[in-house]
Amino acid sequence: MGATWKELTKGLWREIPPFRLVLGLCPTLAVTKTADNGLGMGLAVIFVLTLSNLAVSALRRLIPAKVRIACFIVIAATLVVGVELLMQAFAYPLYQRLGIFVPLIVVNCIILGRAEAFASRNPVHLSVADGLGMGLGFTLSLTLLGALREVLGYGTVFGLCLFGPGFKPFSFMIEAPGAFVCLGLVLAGMNALTNWQRKRQGLAAVEGPGHDCKSCGLCAADKK
Amino acid sequence: MEYFLLIIAAIFVNNIVLAQYLGNCPFLGCSRATGTAVGMGGAVIFVVTLATAITWLVQKRLLEPMGLEYLQTIAFILVIAALVQFVEMFLKKVLPPLYRALGIFLPLITTNCAVLGIAIICQRKEYGLLKSVVFAAASAAGFMLALVLMAAIRERLDTARVPRALRGMPIGLILAGLMSLAFFAFSGMIA
Amino acid sequence: MREAARMIIVLSLIAGLSGLTLASLRQATGPLIEEQVLTYVQGPSLGQIFADTENNAVRDRKTFRPPGADRELTVFPARRQGRLVGVSFETSAKGYGGEIGVMVGFTMPEGKLAGIAITTMKETPGVGSRVAKHGFTTQFRGHGLDNLDLRSKGGDIDAVSGATISSTAATAAVKQAAQDFKAIREELAKAWPES
Repeated sequence: MGATWKELTKGLWREIPPFRLVLGLCPTLAVTKTADNGLGMGLAVIFVLTLSNLAVSALRRLIPAKVRIACFIVIAATLVVGVELLMQAFAYPLYQRLGIFVPLIVVNCIILGRAEAFASRNPVHLSVADGLGMGLGFTLSLTLLGALREVLGYGTVFGLCLFGPGFKPFSFMIEAPGAFVCLGLVLAGMNALTNWQRKRQGLAAVEGPGHDCKSCGLCAADKK
Repeated sequence: MEYFLLIIAAIFVNNIVLAQYLGNCPFLGCSRATGTAVGMGGAVIFVVTLATAITWLVQKRLLEPMGLEYLQTIAFILVIAALVQFVEMFLKKVLPPLYRALGIFLPLITTNCAVLGIAIICQRKEYGLLKSVVFAAASAAGFMLALVLMAAIRERLDTARVPRALRGMPIGLILAGLMSLAFFAFSGMIA
Repeated sequence: MREAARMIIVLSLIAGLSGLTLASLRQATGPLIEEQVLTYVQGPSLGQIFADTENNAVRDRKTFRPPGADRELTVFPARRQGRLVGVSFETSAKGYGGEIGVMVGFTMPEGKLAGIAITTMKETPGVGSRVAKHGFTTQFRGHGLDNLDLRSKGGDIDAVSGATISSTAATAAVKQAAQDFKAIREELAKAWPES
């Protein structure tokens, strides 16, 4: 029980994607114009990630090592098509707003990365906990980032007006440049926070997460 | 003229990385040195162009006649994964020098969302085969441009004093934001 | 050899399972998706043509087949006080950068144009999309079923200057719709009885 809980919670702070575990940047930047887009994307990722971890883990003894990446891709793609169909049936406006980033969940390195780095090596219950935790963390980050950009760019959160009519929206935030800068500053803030904590504990400062393909598992596996 | 506008728009105005948010992982991950960036860019141009042509045929000749459009995502990603494998084997056998230059980047391309993204954009915009291929090659060239520029800036950055909290990813993202702002200016060029 | 056989079996097993799952999911969600697409893609243009109607046009839709044509028309009714006051359906014609879709509304029982709205627009931004603006589409409001041509072709519709191809296409689509309407008018009048 303790182990499952640990796997579930690590995605919420210690390894929260994409802030600590820098994976899946494209959707992070693209769909966080508003908080509800971020939330919707996050929910779709939770669905795909949890079920893909479940399937990969359940089949891990069956899948031959040589074709495992192909198998992971088939599993992930099946789930993504499933999500596309469900979103079209039940949340069509969200499906329209997220655009091509719904099918692109399949190449979000978070899916294949977790399949390769975790689910293919761990039992089913831990893999599901890992997928759910990482998915929740991703959703949390995207919603927060979306809310931040929405507040500054539109003056609203989840479509609710926050300020009076005198508010002048900072429309830079909802355009592409704002996405990059905003994510960069949030990551910098996370780094500063970590180092502040470490300093209080009397530890030496560390640098924040870099972005090399080590965090992606999949690419690291290919290099072997 | 139509194709000229298409190419300019794909490279500058709607730059795949800086305006459409695609292919950010290699953009921020493989941009430490200009040489690497050129290699990665070349591999992406090659694969994207080929993949868009093949996925276009798969969509129009296979999926649409059979009424299986909803399987687009799964069909496209399998085509791309298989294509990347095939290109790798082909280059290894036939063109070893090119393989040595591009080989290490090929496995990274399957999960580069720019490849799948461009293939899907061509379908959503209902481009014909030729237009798709031109658009794909131009978009990939835009990717390479952004990657090489980023690498050049980063090489300079190595000697700069960056505040500790901003080192690594954050400064990379902020640089990308500034580049994106510069490219944003192109959007006035084509109404 | 055994290794290769195992790889093939596992891969085809996974692929088969995925195909089966998706095919059944598609079956289950098919009607729902159709309804959502109609509501969010066609729905807004229906509202532009017939305001303050009291029925759900998407739910009450019916399909018709104009005599001699091998295509089907999905017709959306508009009701006020229980009576059918109009119908709308979509036709399309080739424009500059792809098909232009036009939702065309007709009043019932008078049989005049109630208005049109552009539904799919893949024209060059800024040029063709001007036909979607108010000035062009309002010309059709209350227009009869004949003379639906641009002035240059002897009709009485003004083209949007600088967007002749798109104007021609939109007008051709409306003309087609008027012909379809004439062909199925009798059927339409009986299809939604008074309630």
